[in-house]
Amino acid sequence: MVNPLVTQPQPLTTIEPTPEKVIVAEGLEMIFHSGNQEFKALKGIDLQVFSGDIELLMGPSGSGKTTLLSILGGILTPTAGEVHLLGQEITRLSQNKLARFRLENIGFIFQGFNLFPALTASENIQTALNLKGIRGQAARQHALKLLDQVELADRADNLPRDLSGGQKQRVAIARALAGQPKLILADEPTAALDSHRGRAIIELLRKLSKEEGCTVVMVTHDARIIDIADQVVHVEDGMITDNPSNFSRFAA
Amino acid sequence: MVSIARKNLFEDLPRFMVAQAGIMFAVGLVTIQTGLLDGFTKSASLLVDNSKADIWVASKDMRYLELTIPLPYERLAQAQRVEGVDRAEALITRGSLWRKNSSAQIDPIRLIGFDPDGQLFTPWRINQGNLSDLKQPYTVMIDRSNLKALDISGIGDTAEISSVKVTVKGITQGIHSIVSSPFVFSSLPNANYYFVSQAMPTGTTQPTTPPALTAKDQITYILVRAEPGQNLTDLKSRLEAALPDTRAFTLEEMAQLNQTYWRRSTGVGFILGMGAAVGVVVGMVVVGQILYSSVSDHLQEFGTLKAMGSSNWYIYRVIIEQALWMAVLGYLPGMGLCLGLSAWTMQTRAIAILITPSTAIAVFGMTIVMCTGAAAFAIRKVTHLDPAMVFKS
Ligand SMILES: Nc1ncnc2c1ncn2[C@@H]1O[C@H](COP(=O)(O)OP(=O)(O)OP(=O)(O)O)[C@@H](O)[C@H]1O
Ligand SMILES: [Mg+2]
Repeated sequence: MVNPLVTQPQPLTTIEPTPEKVIVAEGLEMIFHSGNQEFKALKGIDLQVFSGDIELLMGPSGSGKTTLLSILGGILTPTAGEVHLLGQEITRLSQNKLARFRLENIGFIFQGFNLFPALTASENIQTALNLKGIRGQAARQHALKLLDQVELADRADNLPRDLSGGQKQRVAIARALAGQPKLILADEPTAALDSHRGRAIIELLRKLSKEEGCTVVMVTHDARIIDIADQVVHVEDGMITDNPSNFSRFAA
Repeated sequence: MVSIARKNLFEDLPRFMVAQAGIMFAVGLVTIQTGLLDGFTKSASLLVDNSKADIWVASKDMRYLELTIPLPYERLAQAQRVEGVDRAEALITRGSLWRKNSSAQIDPIRLIGFDPDGQLFTPWRINQGNLSDLKQPYTVMIDRSNLKALDISGIGDTAEISSVKVTVKGITQGIHSIVSSPFVFSSLPNANYYFVSQAMPTGTTQPTTPPALTAKDQITYILVRAEPGQNLTDLKSRLEAALPDTRAFTLEEMAQLNQTYWRRSTGVGFILGMGAAVGVVVGMVVVGQILYSSVSDHLQEFGTLKAMGSSNWYIYRVIIEQALWMAVLGYLPGMGLCLGLSAWTMQTRAIAILITPSTAIAVFGMTIVMCTGAAAFAIRKVTHLDPAMVFKS
């Protein structure tokens, strides 16, 4: 088994290679139906994300950020448009193929952590490894290493309810990284944390994803972490905008 | 492998206990009903099963053990002369009346007359007294479980069978049948006398020893042991040919005939089957309900698993694993309880709840099927789960 914690050696090259596009989304539209009402949450979104980048999705509440993130992660199928993830068009894959694709390529981090409450920190990570076919002692060792990376080695056997919010989110980050994903999708991962802890979490996520060569797309309201991003995209009313109207509200 | 199923199940202990109670109820009901049916069936052919005869010869009009027309005693000698018969013995079974004394209430009994020196039928579990004591005039043996019903406190007590005063000389253990009046065992001459005395004019003096049976006296069955190597079908035909107005049955046929008669005439299979079905339905509803509510409570986790890329099968396995834990942990105490109940009723009530190993295995299989079947509702729920819900908090 390849140790996921060791960065794969990159070929040495003198010429700057054109960066690889991990996500190419074109003409994304999303219409929600509730009863006989229609609601257009996304109104034609084009987006490109480059390998290894940290990309922030920002915008007012209800603008469609979560909807966009779900579509990028193959959890929601858009009404129109295409999503190419790692060279694969995913909007027409079957549910089973999509699940397989997510398992192999994507790690998720949630605002509410979404840890399994009956499982310890280590077991939470082991579950992700189990899904990938890594079992037993190997999974346990691997989980402990990941916990060490998020500086929680001493909390391996604690249940989530015995961890602080920041610690929970670090377990969640370790769990998301467990599958060696090429892409991490995070929806407001710091919203439940105070700004100090929030920043620490984001810095950790940035460090680990850079080490792993993993691309991160993160929805956030927090303008104070903008400096961490390689690229920021503003979503407003279901569209990407270059001059966000209410951005000043968040500016420091 | 980390078991989310097990941990989620035991996390909410009160709910788990409710489920276990439901499963125990189902296991209990099905086991007890099956046990009663088996006990009843065994009861229906108890005397036949415990005889050592190869063939039972009866009147051609016999419908079941207790409903038949008597045979003349001379048939016994005729049977003994049939080729291939190693041994033949007479058996009397006759309904009669018992009372403690001439002013006490009457109770029905089933009088069984047999040869205390015989080999083909004798009471098979004698707790007190000896078979040879029954050779004394006007003696009987009764079962421990009927002591109270027959108002007898022990050996030496006396009572009356159709006005003949009898003495209890022995006590059997576990020889009783739910489809029969209490068995009262006595020798052939004694049993015959209790019967013929009814027809005697009042004032007839009772002989000190009841007379031996004569050719025209009435017996009920002839039990036959075949010579080694005999073809029983052929022997049956020869017996039927030699003994007018009779039919011969092998032991199995005779047992089967009685079991079928009692099952049919009482509809006991249907009644107990209904009870068992109620158990299964209730168990299924409880388990289904509990699994469904457990899955509903953990929907966020199943959504997370789906987002993480688990297949539907992985999630089904989690739910089925929960169902199997419930099945095993409900079955074990449930069956334990039934075995205890069975032992207790056998001892104190003379009601036979017969729990055979095959019943125990079948009920286990039923529990597994019931629990996994009940998981279907919960599985339906997660199948329709939208993984996009993980982002809604
Ligand atoms: N399943 C759904 N059915 C109907 N409408 C929906 C559904 N999901 C989202 N919407 C609507 O789509 C719009 C965009 O929702 P979305 O959750 O993407 O917003 P958001 O930018 O993530 O907001 P927030 O910052 O509050 O999380 C909202 O108006 C929302 O009500
Ligand atoms: Mg949102």
